[in-house]
Amino acid sequence: MRNMLLIARREYLEQVRSRAFRTTTIGLPAIFALIVAVGYLSSLGLGANRHIAVASNDPALANQIRNQLLGDQTARARVEVIAPATQEQRSALVKQVKSSSLDGVLWVEAMPGKAPTATYTAQSSGDFITAARLRSAVNHALVDAQLMAGGMQQAAADKLVSGISIATFQARKDGRIVKSNPEASLWKGYVMALLLSMTTMIYGMNVARSIIQEKTSRIFEVMLAIARPGDLLAGKLIGVGAVGLTQIAIWLIAGAAIFFSPFAAAVMTGAFTVQVSWTEAILFPIYFVLGYLLYSSLFAGLAATCETEQELQMYMPLAAAPTWLSFALILLIINDSNSIWSILASLFPPTAPVIMFLRMASEIPPAWQFAVSIGLLVLSIWGVLWFSTRLYRIGILMYGKRATLPELLRWLRYS
Amino acid sequence: MPIVELQGVSKTYESKIAVRDLSLSIEAGQMFGLLGPNGAGKTSTIRMMMGITLPDTGHVNLFGQPFARSSLRRVGYLPEERGLYKKMRVLEQLVFFGELHGLTRAEALKRASGWAHRLDIADVLGKKTEELSKGMQQKIQFIGSLLHDPGLIVMDEPFSGLDPVNAKLLEHTLLELKDQGKAILFSTHRMDQVEKLCDAICLINKGEAVLSGTMRAIKSRYERNHVVVEFDGSAEFLKSDQIAEARNFSGHAEIRLKPHGDAQKLLHEASAIATIYRFELMEPSLEEIFIQTVGGKVDA
Repeated sequence: MRNMLLIARREYLEQVRSRAFRTTTIGLPAIFALIVAVGYLSSLGLGANRHIAVASNDPALANQIRNQLLGDQTARARVEVIAPATQEQRSALVKQVKSSSLDGVLWVEAMPGKAPTATYTAQSSGDFITAARLRSAVNHALVDAQLMAGGMQQAAADKLVSGISIATFQARKDGRIVKSNPEASLWKGYVMALLLSMTTMIYGMNVARSIIQEKTSRIFEVMLAIARPGDLLAGKLIGVGAVGLTQIAIWLIAGAAIFFSPFAAAVMTGAFTVQVSWTEAILFPIYFVLGYLLYSSLFAGLAATCETEQELQMYMPLAAAPTWLSFALILLIINDSNSIWSILASLFPPTAPVIMFLRMASEIPPAWQFAVSIGLLVLSIWGVLWFSTRLYRIGILMYGKRATLPELLRWLRYS
Repeated sequence: MPIVELQGVSKTYESKIAVRDLSLSIEAGQMFGLLGPNGAGKTSTIRMMMGITLPDTGHVNLFGQPFARSSLRRVGYLPEERGLYKKMRVLEQLVFFGELHGLTRAEALKRASGWAHRLDIADVLGKKTEELSKGMQQKIQFIGSLLHDPGLIVMDEPFSGLDPVNAKLLEHTLLELKDQGKAILFSTHRMDQVEKLCDAICLINKGEAVLSGTMRAIKSRYERNHVVVEFDGSAEFLKSDQIAEARNFSGHAEIRLKPHGDAQKLLHEASAIATIYRFELMEPSLEEIFIQTVGGKVDA
């Protein structure tokens, strides 16, 4: 026990004092914030400032469409109306699109007794935001026109078709009804799950890399004469895990300091309101520790069978596959976080940490599901450790060649 | 009571027999040499002694008791595969090893500084291990294995990679430790060092002990048929009928006599044609015994 703690302390101090620790502690959240900021800022200008020509054989409808487009403040579109327009004029407008003097031409053909047809010609085929705006503008204009034809005033018709916003509330299990923001909650869950999977993988990899380095430096021969292989592995897992927890604690403290600062109060209002519940704050380190122990013990077993870091890298995508699977299930979770598949995925140990946080974004699952998922994680950690320790105690003394599958099976039998 | 006792120890890896029915014993205050060509089973034997691997058959006793991991706190081990934590500073590293062997931090610090002064590396205690030369790293590892004042010291090729000055320093240290009553086992290829330092040896080949005992007893088994001559003048006497083999290094000749060759006759022939400064009838060297015993049986 004493030796295990001494080994854990050495691992911890060596990693915490390293430049890599300082760099990732500051750099990782900074890169994360940068990615989110770039994504958000670039989305602000999507489909905006388009120069569009609306051409139609029905001047009233064309003008209604223009009014609808200009009424959309976020679009900041420039709209020209050519109505009544001929096929020759349409062709000329398409030529202007080709020469980039126009972003696109919306051709609307009204036919008596039938629904009008509309076509949009633009240089870009992937501008789905402008296409959605045009679809909305044409539909609203048609409804507007129908309402006015039925005798309604323009202002009343506009008001009717402008739509209403729906405030969302969440009825919580504790009986409280709180204002919710589904998009912000989803993003919060996604970011927490991403952070959890990244830290789990980074520290799991650190354990594996450290084993390979020690194998390369031949320190194991010295250490095995002093400590048991189990103590060596446990000390390493505890030490590196403590480094991860330290890093997460630094992030949480820094996050809390920013969250409660006047700057955050000014920025995080309205749509940006994100609340991290106590349940999430408590479960995050718990799932980190369990996820880390599961993956790092798996990586440790793998690392003991490898000779070089390059060899280890080949296995990593396979070992990390469950984490990728977790993110592939994101739509399933969003669609119904309480479906049987969502529940099973959140109980399945390799995907449990990430899926639980994705589920929590929609709704906090019942306590028994947390208990079962944590229980299953603990059991699988024990199982993986059982195998890994056996591979580890033989593998760390094997130099020179990569172990084959029959050899690995023999190692398990020997131990 | 022997400090180390191996009784009929065997170890097989897959189909290769690494050690077969090996027995040896080392007493307190004895310097013991474990010799053998490459792949003979020296490291496998040491690993079983250190509990790194377990023997398939036979027994390992340390300090008069069947092997137990707790006994390892009284053992200092310098393996053939040298290894240190490259990023750690030297003093931290030594203290870490000391603590692992059961010393308190304060005691480990005190002893590490003492040893560093003794082995002349006090000025590098604050440096990272990776910044040091190989020889320097070896001295650090040497100290790491002795910090806890072990009763048994096991060293696999302790002098390899050291310059003559540092090799001499380590030799003296080992002799001092032997005088303090420590049992010391070391394996090496350097026969001159074994001959100079060891009280007893075990020569193993292909996993089996082919020669063992005290140095005196082993040497006494061989005929005194080696002559060293230092001379000036004609070297014609090296063609004498008494000689089986001779090597002349301009004025210094090493001679092996024929069975029942007469050294006195040879001296008479030599002094008739050359001035003789030294004429010494000697036992065969350990190197010669080694080659005689193992020669032709070594795996490629």
